[in-house]
Amino acid sequence: MRGLFDALERPVELLVALGPEETPLPGARDVDFGGETVRIVEELAALSANVSFRVEDEPAGFDRYPAVALLPAGEDAGLRYYGLPWGYELGSLVGGVLEAGRREPSLSDESRARLDSLERELEIDVFVTPT
Amino acid sequence: MLLAYKTALASPRVTAAAIEATEFPQLADAMDVWAVPRIVVNGVPQWDGSVPERVFLDRILAPSFE
Repeated sequence: MRGLFDALERPVELLVALGPEETPLPGARDVDFGGETVRIVEELAALSANVSFRVEDEPAGFDRYPAVALLPAGEDAGLRYYGLPWGYELGSLVGGVLEAGRREPSLSDESRARLDSLERELEIDVFVTPT
Repeated sequence: MLLAYKTALASPRVTAAAIEATEFPQLADAMDVWAVPRIVVNGVPQWDGSVPERVFLDRILAPSFE
C-alpha cells in the first residue's frame, strides 16, 4: 500500500470530522468510533508523504459523524466516508485515496463525456457494511 | 463504492458518500437498507449491488432524476 500511495500523482488530504461530541450507539458504547477513525486515518497518512490528515470537530460540509472527507490536492471534490472505515470497508477508503490521487479521473472517455453534459446536481450515497 | 467516488471526481456536479449502515441505523432504516451496497441518489433509494460502469451511468443519469 505504501508503494501505491507513493505513486500518487497529487497529494490527498484526509479531513476527519469528529462531530460535536461522541454520541453513544445502543449496544456499542465500548467503541469510540471517532477515536478509531482518527487512528486508522493516522496510520494511512504515516505510509506516505502523499497522504496527510487533519482532525476537526465540526467542519462545514458534513451530514453526520464521524466522517472522513477525501480531499484531492486539498480541494473538496465531494467525497465522503461516513462512519468508521474498518473491515472490508477500509478498502473503500484506500481505493478512494488512490482515485483522488490521480490527476485524470479513471472513468472511460465515454462516461466522462456523458457526465460533462450533466446539468443537475447528483448526490450519490452508497450504504455499506464492514463485513 | 469506488465507481461513485470516480464519478464524483469526474464531475463537479456529483458528490459521493459511503455510509456505514450499522453505524447509522436510523438513516439505513429510512433508506430500507437490507442488502449492501445500496445506492441512493438525491435521497431516493435506487438499487442494490455493484454494476458495471456503463450501467451505473445509465442509472444515475436517467431522466427520472431531473
